[in-house]
Amino acid sequence: MWFARGRYILERLVRGLPIILAIVVVNFFLIRLAPGDAAQVIAGEAGAASEEYMAQIRRQFGLDQPLYIQFLSYMKNIVTFDLGYSFRHGREVSSLIFDRLGATAILMGAAMVISVTLGTLLGAIAAMRDRTIVSHIIVIFAVVSYATPLFWVGLMLIIVFAIQLGWFPTSGIITVGADYTGLRAVIDVLHHLVLPAVALSCFYMALYARLMRSSMLETLGQDYIRTARAKGLGDRSILVVHALRNAVLPVLTMAGVQVSGMLGGSVIVESVFGWPGLGLLAFESLFARDINLLLGIFFLSSILVVVTNAVVDVIYTIVDPRIALNTGRTNG
Amino acid sequence: MDHLVTSRRLFNGLLLGTAFGALLPASQALANPQPGGTLTITTTPEPAIITNALSSAPTTAELATKIFDGLLEYDLELKPKPSLAESWTISPDGKTITFKLRQGVTWHDGKPFTSADVQFALMEVVKKFHPRGQGNLGPVQSIDTPDAHTAVFNLAHPYPPLMMGLSSLESPIVPRHIYEGTDFRNNPAVNAPIGTGPFKFARWEKGNFIQLDKNENYWRPGRPYLDRLIVRFIADSATRAAGIERGEIDVATFGTINPVEMRRLETLPHLAIAKGGYEAIAPVMMLELNVQKPPFDDKRVRLAVAYALDRTFITRAIWHGFGKPAVGPISSFMKGNGAFTDQNILRFDVRDRLEIANRLLDEAGLKRGANGMRVKIFHDPAPFGEDWRRMGEYIKQALARVGIDVELRNRDYPSFVRLVHNEYDFNMTSTWSIGMADPTLGVQRQTWSKTINRAVPFGNVSQYSNPEVDKLWEAAQTEIDPAKRNQIFHKLQELLVADSPIIWLMEMDLVAVQNKRVKDLITSPLGLRGGLYETWIQR
Repeated sequence: MWFARGRYILERLVRGLPIILAIVVVNFFLIRLAPGDAAQVIAGEAGAASEEYMAQIRRQFGLDQPLYIQFLSYMKNIVTFDLGYSFRHGREVSSLIFDRLGATAILMGAAMVISVTLGTLLGAIAAMRDRTIVSHIIVIFAVVSYATPLFWVGLMLIIVFAIQLGWFPTSGIITVGADYTGLRAVIDVLHHLVLPAVALSCFYMALYARLMRSSMLETLGQDYIRTARAKGLGDRSILVVHALRNAVLPVLTMAGVQVSGMLGGSVIVESVFGWPGLGLLAFESLFARDINLLLGIFFLSSILVVVTNAVVDVIYTIVDPRIALNTGRTNG
Repeated sequence: MDHLVTSRRLFNGLLLGTAFGALLPASQALANPQPGGTLTITTTPEPAIITNALSSAPTTAELATKIFDGLLEYDLELKPKPSLAESWTISPDGKTITFKLRQGVTWHDGKPFTSADVQFALMEVVKKFHPRGQGNLGPVQSIDTPDAHTAVFNLAHPYPPLMMGLSSLESPIVPRHIYEGTDFRNNPAVNAPIGTGPFKFARWEKGNFIQLDKNENYWRPGRPYLDRLIVRFIADSATRAAGIERGEIDVATFGTINPVEMRRLETLPHLAIAKGGYEAIAPVMMLELNVQKPPFDDKRVRLAVAYALDRTFITRAIWHGFGKPAVGPISSFMKGNGAFTDQNILRFDVRDRLEIANRLLDEAGLKRGANGMRVKIFHDPAPFGEDWRRMGEYIKQALARVGIDVELRNRDYPSFVRLVHNEYDFNMTSTWSIGMADPTLGVQRQTWSKTINRAVPFGNVSQYSNPEVDKLWEAAQTEIDPAKRNQIFHKLQELLVADSPIIWLMEMDLVAVQNKRVKDLITSPLGLRGGLYETWIQR
């Protein structure tokens, strides 16, 4: 069984390769549709520039080459996993991305754990206590947090918990200049993590709670639940073994989507909380027309999407053994 | 996005706008400077590089001017002061300038600073790579180094503005031993610079902060006072405001916090507005008109726009008083060296300005149509933030009153540069320009016909070409008599306003918000773009 799963993932990944390549090609040309190039941005930021200066930058960035030459050299690099160089930052794209990966992973990971756990729990409770005051409160809470703009939640948290109460710092990932090490440094990061993670969780938690509730309600109405009840199984056993396991599938799908989007980070939360993650990096590189960097982030994101999809499909089969791995060519 | 921004603003106003906190006079304690401490500044956007010999981007300059020194500094009257150069003599014909350099200065890596560094930095780096290098050092043909502490500048012709362009902001001295024979732009030292300045580069966490540490061997004895300088990058304006409100940040530079928010923060007991420190930058906000295309190829239409806009309203309502109405291209910040004048200048703030505007438009043959509009134009506001978009909205309303139908085109930065500055696809665009300490260095490029160049953004984008104006600019480049030179500038001020290829709206105050525990923040005409070696923190 495990061998089959491993082979399945591998096959999925191999079949994902052409998709990833197609994404790279489309991205490469799509980005170039936006007017303006990196040399103009840099010269513009400088306030004034001479013609030689602009020509110098273009030559250095390779922007003076014909498009197909730029494309060929980019593709050559990509197949060897060389993401290229960000001339704007004067560094390798891979090192720029790698530097920001940690911050993004911590934030998204924390938000993921909080939102999946609490969301599933709240959704299940709301379904079990359907049409009670508890369920109404949960549903209203979910709708409100789902509909509230993220930046507003973020600013509210900052105003209440950072400015008024002074419990947490307003922004950043570490206390800059404090030079903490060891455990103190870990605590410092966690201290900074609380507000952004809570802000980001609100949205996803609401999503999971709503999904879980409706899925659970549907499951509870199924024949096999009635059968289980008729067999005389206890409430707890019915819920955990029969209902929860089936109801959690849509949540799983959604969580897969969340993981896929992880590399993009959350531009809004990173921006409001000054969190130095990948979302902001992508956002800034778009406005700077830092094409290599942007393509690098897109490239890694597309890989993550393909991998996550394969993994989620496998997890399905574990949660629900009725779903079989189909390694055939007809569907996938 | 627009409505989000608006609602956030409204929200801030409602929740936080209850300006509690007593209005204390900004009394500076007359205590002796206390050494030590960390100063945390926030600025935006994060610079791409921090060596300003290669870029004059504002935030690059904010960082690099702490790390590098220039040959000269300037006092608040814009008179040159010694820095790496201790003294200088100018030959009677103005073509030879001899600088005596300070002895015993070392680079951050311990190597001695010599005249060879000056020669290399100015001729091989700044003149070639700095975007304003040609303007600042163009006529300098060579620099001789007869000994380790003498640098002799040989000029093709007298060039008075040269002495105004030798600060660490314009002509930073970079080390020869690090850069010579390397590909300058890709040298790793570009983002971990070695200088002679008051602070040493320590580290850069991209997307987060840059840390500079005190240079223990700085040549100014006992300076800098601060142990450490941290520059933080936070993407959101409201979060920056929260940071300075809570005391996590000591100084927020201009442009990091919206003007309306600055007015709120100003009322808090521990915060103040730091004025000054932009005298040598002399920033002016303006509307550039495309004079090669109808309708602004007609001077009467340009003047009608100039009359139709209320500069006082723009200053007060859009920029919340952080500036004052401009007279013309040459800012009153240049009063110190006499280049500024407001005599014989056409004024647009007259009582019957709307009637005059309407009359001018009638004379230009632009009759009102059925909808009351005479002509339609495109306005591309500078993509510098919401305040600029709001000014665009005001311009649309104000010009509608005289029958000019304005369509706003808000674009992102690269698109804006390409379409407006590269393709000249616009009628009217807003921007701000730094005048620098001398009109030849900063103001000239707006209207000199030789700076009309599609390839280079932020030059003469109006494509204004007037032989009389050209002649005056060129005369000012070589005139060594200060009085005669100022007369030329006064004539330019008069001519340019009367022709209005550009509508100069407001002299900007590039104020910062600061915590009151920070003392002596602004001590030079470069302000936060200076070395900050006199700045200290009260504990």
